Amino acid sequence: MRVEYINPFVEAAFNVLREVLQADVRRGELYLKSTSMPVMGVAAIVGLAGDVEGRVLFDMDKPSALRIASAMNGEELKEMDDLVKATITELANMITAQAVTKLHDLGFRFDLTPPAIFTGENMEVSSADVEALIVPMETPQGKIEINVAIRERA
Amino acid sequence: MPAQTLEQHATADSAESAKKADKVDFKMVTFSLAGKEYGIDIMSVKEIAKAGRFTYVPNAAPFVRGVYNLRGDIISVIDLRIFFHLPAERKQEEALESLIILKVDEHVFGVIVDGIDKVVGISSASIQPPHPIFGDINVKYIKGIVENSGKLYIILDVERIFTLDRAEAPAQKAVYDKGEEFERTERELLGQNAADVAASFVKETLAAFRGFHVGAVNSAWFERRLEEWRGLRKNEDMQLREASEADQFLEGFWSPCTSVLWDEDYAKAVEAVLPDIETKNINVWNPGCGKGYETWSLACVMRRRYPEARIKIWANDSDLLAISMAPNMVFPENVPTYYSEYLVKGRNGLAFVQSIRDSIFFEFHDIMNPSTLPPLDLILCRDVLSFLPAIDQKRLLGDFSEKLKPNGAVLAGSNERLGEGWTAIGSEAVSAYRKD
Repeated sequence: MRVEYINPFVEAAFNVLREVLQADVRRGELYLKSTSMPVMGVAAIVGLAGDVEGRVLFDMDKPSALRIASAMNGEELKEMDDLVKATITELANMITAQAVTKLHDLGFRFDLTPPAIFTGENMEVSSADVEALIVPMETPQGKIEINVAIRERA
Repeated sequence: MPAQTLEQHATADSAESAKKADKVDFKMVTFSLAGKEYGIDIMSVKEIAKAGRFTYVPNAAPFVRGVYNLRGDIISVIDLRIFFHLPAERKQEEALESLIILKVDEHVFGVIVDGIDKVVGISSASIQPPHPIFGDINVKYIKGIVENSGKLYIILDVERIFTLDRAEAPAQKAVYDKGEEFERTERELLGQNAADVAASFVKETLAAFRGFHVGAVNSAWFERRLEEWRGLRKNEDMQLREASEADQFLEGFWSPCTSVLWDEDYAKAVEAVLPDIETKNINVWNPGCGKGYETWSLACVMRRRYPEARIKIWANDSDLLAISMAPNMVFPENVPTYYSEYLVKGRNGLAFVQSIRDSIFFEFHDIMNPSTLPPLDLILCRDVLSFLPAIDQKRLLGDFSEKLKPNGAVLAGSNERLGEGWTAIGSEAVSAYRKD
């Protein structure tokens, strides 16, 4: 993972979360993980293609997803309904888009795929041969792990 | 109001940690040896049994109690207490011993313990690494320590205990051979003389204090340094008690010009050692580049050595802080003249020119994770292998040889030797190897 890619994602996540939740957001220690990893319960995924390829995964547990969606919509949401899913998807889209815009300014060109959301128990993602950068974000509504796995196009 | 949020935070946190601890993903069979509690991963345990009257095997190591007929299979029986030099009560001839039947690869063993307790489920996240200076049992046989309902369990690494000689041992071995195998292990464990014990102690403290692992790449240097050290310390007390002593021991290991731009002499020496490369595109990998000084130096050296080629250097490190600074390195005035043609004056000092910048990709990457690199012409890896456990050193060298093009070269640390499969092509100042 190139050093230049790291900051845009961290900054975008921080800015967007702070803005939409109107709350104090803290960033945890960044680390690297080899690819196979369990998913906490709700995962939004955005693909990247262009000069680099890969994906960004937003991982959180279900109660956190509900609390975050509630905070973003300004109403109490209790079930994992379409509104909640759409909200989380939108959050993923906002963060990734902002990061990509920053990267664009630095001269890297790539596009996004529309986000997709996965929910369920005991899920695991793996993508061969790419190591992922984990950006843990702590919000009052719960923890979100942003998992960035991108590589240079060979 | 803020206090309340804090409190909420705290309860959420503790709930989370409780949840973590509750997640049982590791089960172990617990037992006692000389009054202490131990555990073995249940996946290695075939069954437990009570048995006695083992058939004595002549010439076997003292901890081999004999062989036993387990429903038609002849298995060897090892007394773990004797293996670990713990006190063992000799029971009556007829009395039954508690036996854990282990299966490690294809081999089935019985181990005698004082008493078998129960199966305990824990979360593997709660396993803590053993302390390097760990009492009764050699630390390399311990997987970790875990606390469960008020008791501390030492988890033994059975694979380590029973497969030390796997490389040499054929799959099917006569029991007699097995005895010998363990005798060797035993000897290794005991370290026949005090010097060996002292050496292994130094090795372990180096690993604990500075993450320096003695393995095939640096054992020659280590032996030499140990002799020197013995002289320095007058043989009375060779052990390293604190980190500063480990640093002292490692003095002289480091390659020239670590953490600075290479000086002119070293840069020229590297330039002289670099092999001729025919292709127009040269790919270089620099794992463990740290703050990036050696990457920048190498980029300039290569630009001189191969003026026509398109050079690409992938430089990684797993230290986020160090690697983040690397791409934007600037220097005050005093830079060796060797580099002056590649530097331009910027706002904050001297920086490298764009063509050099463009040839380097700094990446945040852990070399233990898979990476995608094109076939490589050169790998610059100075004093990195020595900071990986011996087994990872070996793995990484395999990885190097796989990724290098035929004729590709590795620049290693001055005191590192790559060994089998590599031909030395270096000079006195630069340690370089070509793939065989």
